[in-house]
Amino acid sequence: MNEGIAGKLAKQFINSKITPLLMVASLLVGIMATFMTPREEEPQIVVPMVDLYIPYPGATPAEVETRVAKQVERTLTEIPGVDYVYSTSMPDVALVTVRYKVGEDAEKSMVKLWSTLMKNMDKMPQGVQFPLMKKVSIDDVPVLNLTFWSKSKDPFQLRKTAVEVAEELKKIKNIGDVEIKGGLKRQIKIVLDKGKLLKYNVSPLQITRQIQLANSQMTSGDFKQMNQEIVVRTGKFLESASDVANIVVGIYGASPVYLHDVATVVDGPEEVNNYNFFGWAAAAPAGSVSGEYPAVTLTVAKRKGGDASVLADKVLARVDGLRHTIIQPGITVTETRNYGATASEKVFTLLEHLLMAVVAVTIVVGFFLGWRGSLVVLASVPITFALTLLIYYLLDYSLNRVTLFALIFVTGIVVDDSIIIAENIHRHFAMKRQPKLQAAITAINEVGNPTILATFTVIAAVLPMVFVSGLMGPYMSPMPIGASLAMIFSLLVALIATPWLSFRLLKTESGHHEEYDVTKSGYYKVFNTILSPFIESPLKRWLAFGVVGLMLVGAIALVPLKAVQMKMLPFDNKNEFQVILDMPEGTSLEQTARVTKEIALYLKTIPEVSSYQYYVGTNAPINFNGLVRHYYLRQKANMADIQVNLVHKGERKAQSHDIAKRVRPGVQQIAQRYNGNAKIVEIPPGPPVMSTLVAEIYGPSESEQIALAEKVKTVFKATPGVVDVDWLVEADQKVYNLVVNKDRAAFRGVSAEQIAQTLRMSLAGMDVGLIHTANDLEPVTIQVRLPQSDRTSLHDLSGIFVQSQGMGTLTTRLRAGEMIPLSELVKVEEKIQDKSIYHKDLRRVVYVTADVAGATESPVYAMLDMDKKIQQIKLPGGYSINPLYTAAPTSEDKLSMKWDGEWQITFEVFRDLGTAFAVVLVIIYLLIIGWFQSFKTPLIMMIAIPLSLVGIIPGHMLHGAFFTATSMIGMIALAGIMVRNSVLLIDFIQIRRAEGIELKQAVIESAAVRTRPIILTSGAVVIGSVVMLFDPIFQGLAISLIWGGVLSTILTLVVVPIVYYMAEKRSEKPSITKKS
Amino acid sequence: MSIDRKKKLVPLLLALFLVFSGCSNHEPEHVRILSPVAPLAVETIVPVLSATEAGGGEVLLVPKSAIFHNGELTGVFVVGTDNRLSMRWISIGRSINGDVVVLGGLNKGEFVVGHYDPALNEGVTVKKSPRVTEEVQNQ
Repeated sequence: MNEGIAGKLAKQFINSKITPLLMVASLLVGIMATFMTPREEEPQIVVPMVDLYIPYPGATPAEVETRVAKQVERTLTEIPGVDYVYSTSMPDVALVTVRYKVGEDAEKSMVKLWSTLMKNMDKMPQGVQFPLMKKVSIDDVPVLNLTFWSKSKDPFQLRKTAVEVAEELKKIKNIGDVEIKGGLKRQIKIVLDKGKLLKYNVSPLQITRQIQLANSQMTSGDFKQMNQEIVVRTGKFLESASDVANIVVGIYGASPVYLHDVATVVDGPEEVNNYNFFGWAAAAPAGSVSGEYPAVTLTVAKRKGGDASVLADKVLARVDGLRHTIIQPGITVTETRNYGATASEKVFTLLEHLLMAVVAVTIVVGFFLGWRGSLVVLASVPITFALTLLIYYLLDYSLNRVTLFALIFVTGIVVDDSIIIAENIHRHFAMKRQPKLQAAITAINEVGNPTILATFTVIAAVLPMVFVSGLMGPYMSPMPIGASLAMIFSLLVALIATPWLSFRLLKTESGHHEEYDVTKSGYYKVFNTILSPFIESPLKRWLAFGVVGLMLVGAIALVPLKAVQMKMLPFDNKNEFQVILDMPEGTSLEQTARVTKEIALYLKTIPEVSSYQYYVGTNAPINFNGLVRHYYLRQKANMADIQVNLVHKGERKAQSHDIAKRVRPGVQQIAQRYNGNAKIVEIPPGPPVMSTLVAEIYGPSESEQIALAEKVKTVFKATPGVVDVDWLVEADQKVYNLVVNKDRAAFRGVSAEQIAQTLRMSLAGMDVGLIHTANDLEPVTIQVRLPQSDRTSLHDLSGIFVQSQGMGTLTTRLRAGEMIPLSELVKVEEKIQDKSIYHKDLRRVVYVTADVAGATESPVYAMLDMDKKIQQIKLPGGYSINPLYTAAPTSEDKLSMKWDGEWQITFEVFRDLGTAFAVVLVIIYLLIIGWFQSFKTPLIMMIAIPLSLVGIIPGHMLHGAFFTATSMIGMIALAGIMVRNSVLLIDFIQIRRAEGIELKQAVIESAAVRTRPIILTSGAVVIGSVVMLFDPIFQGLAISLIWGGVLSTILTLVVVPIVYYMAEKRSEKPSITKKS
Repeated sequence: MSIDRKKKLVPLLLALFLVFSGCSNHEPEHVRILSPVAPLAVETIVPVLSATEAGGGEVLLVPKSAIFHNGELTGVFVVGTDNRLSMRWISIGRSINGDVVVLGGLNKGEFVVGHYDPALNEGVTVKKSPRVTEEVQNQ
């Protein structure tokens, strides 16, 4: 027998001293890599996303849209690598979000964006201010949130403490951004007194000017004297409230007017601009207090590539050390998010699963090959994984749920090569035809080459998944890469380590000396009874094919019958969810706080909720979902977030998704009572999108778009299973336009700008500088503003005075400095605030958003449901619209609608996976042609692939699970595994026939001989997958591998030999007649 | 012999520990929300009134005595329809003879505790004095 690569390799290593050394060395580096690789929960996803804030003060949204947003969008789409450009044109400002293709280099993208923007800055209209560029990245998501709350301290004191703690934490190595959410900053408030201003003839503008002038200090230079340089410094910065109060702001009569004459100067917390409260709920730890308390949240992000759990532990230890020093008694610090702990937990659960899978597989192998055989197989797995983990480390992957999952996924597959080799060596030892060493090498030669081929078929099956594009790409790619690497290592281990181990561990059983005869084995008898009737009778054969065909058709029919539903990814069981409350635009902060509190009080009664924290007027610390959805911009008075923390998933029966579904009606009922809109936001298992269901409405004019959006919204609301319906159209907000009477203003010596500035200062307040204190960590601003009691109505506003610049004409002489009431100069027009204008890829769009829960869990079915209703909507032009699915409309002349949201990603993923599958089939076909040198044989082998569907689809129905992206991955991987089984089967038939055995005999014999390794390898896959059944996300994959594996193995063992027999019968007969 | 017994003890202890730890974990306490024994009598419960301002706009008023402060936060105790007290944060404007203009956080017709008392707590049930209804009718 000639030797293949496998045989040569085995011969080299089977008795080499280097083999055990190699094994130990790879184990050691693997263990080291495991500890050095950073741990985190979510995979590192680089989605270069940049937010551009372009201020254009005073402009209406329409102006911002045409002059700024469109301009910028046009130039940005020129940049290569840009995937989407979104823009929102709001009053006074444009927000343009650029999203690069996933995986584009973040720094390069920033540079490209910067240079393109700079190149076009000259095209911007006058009045546009310099844009602010903010890179948004996954590392901005805080990994640890600490809530500082107290019964006795107010938000001002809490923030001060939190800031001091933050300063301390910043000293920790590898820490990222540390931020404070909520609380009130220290501020020097200059509360103007309208009456006194008038009395002393001082205007607010004058005050700001005087403060700015007084608040200066500079180094003036130096002079020489007596061989010495003496530095001269002039001025003095304002250092305290009393410094500010004693500024001279004007002269009245002959005496100076001090600031404290015309205003009250208060050093203390800024005016309330947020409400942040923390409270324990029904499932709080025993002994915790009831009620809710002012809170401030300190958020800690990690640096890129850092280990979340290590950082979290360090921070917590540091905070513990600060108790009683910086953190005064009375302030409680509660951990409200710890991604480090969840990451470690996830990683260790997965490692545990990995171990369980390995043990389970070993036991299965033990049944067939005895404990010595299983030991050989068991030894090969850690070596394979150790090497794979090393490569993970070298490739800068982190240990996260996807990379570890890739390992669990391949556990069943990587043992296969070792199983096949060990099994064959075992068989040859048992046959005792040759001396031990010779037998081992023969055994390896016999199955070595098909094993190599089989390994490459499996790699060919999983590797094309690398090409899944879009946001899902980074979620998927560690899987094919990890699995392929593991496969290659397992092959090397099987060819180098397994023979060495087998040669030493496997015993040739002494005792029975009779010649091994396959026809006497139990397997042969079974297959002889099963296969013979089909081989002999064509009728029975066709009947069997018919039954298998029917099973296949029946299984596939379950999909259109909705017995098995498609969904991209099911929800994970998390320990938190969020409630997002949007009150109508124009709702006061206190009203929003009140509704939020009412919702919080309801959530408090839910038995699984352990604590909650609400943020009104400031955003809650974001997660990856909030990052993509821009939740960090939720800082308006009408918006609130409630962060709901559940008890640990081990201590409750209900999944977080079910709890979210349960509380949704109650929460929404409260919100609706106040005309608000509340949404329950869960952490999506896969890549986040704007909303699960998004209808993008395009059209010729904004009013028509909104009208259609309104109708679409009604359809959404009427569809069962569609929840959290909302749209991105702001509610009408009342606006008072103060129109300056230009003639009158000119005659009174007042400029329009002066009026605008004075009003802005009076209402919004104006920061006129900082006080320079030594011990404040946050800058303390000096703000000039009217007291709240003096800015509550139009009547108040018209009582504000501006100072005349003086005016001299032929007829009148107006002296400068006279105070002129605003009511004389302006006319009030009541209007509705212009609505923000949204663009996506340069098209104007109105978004209607919703989520799905309850009646239907998969957006695709809800979309199909709603399609019919949307088509029936009557449009002014008399035409109807067909919702688009894959691409934006080509023209905006007619109203049109496109589905987006999770669908877009689902579509891309299944499209890419489908393409990958097609490529897989072609590659496998080519590989087998290359090996068997036949066009027909590969087709017979690939029959096994569709047969797996017979198991996969009904399997999903039995488990009541969704057919998800992971199910699809399972199906693709299974294709590789099943073809490998066929390869091993047919390769053996051909070997036997080459030895001169008759076709029928060869078919039955090979089925009998190959059953054990096939069942063993498939069994390993099936058993190894069982641990995944309990993971909500990877359940689909487990079901595919288990049910698909079982059914397709059984069918392969029967169908493939029969089909091969049929195909070869014709060529066989003449050869037999020739011989006889 | 003794070693054997020890070996047996370990899993037994472990099992016991698991059983007991399970007991404490699986029963969240539901009695956190105060179930009032007797309704607390509060002297005055007054409705949020509205008044017409000099400029013509309508404003809401509550008595100054009803208001309390926690740092910069301003609050009142609202008596709900179920006679339960809840803390409400409000923003206030100028005062008009003993009353304060409420700019946000309260609706017309809601009832607040007329005199803030630090002893009051959220969730406590209070009795409405008959005077309240009279006042409403006078409105």
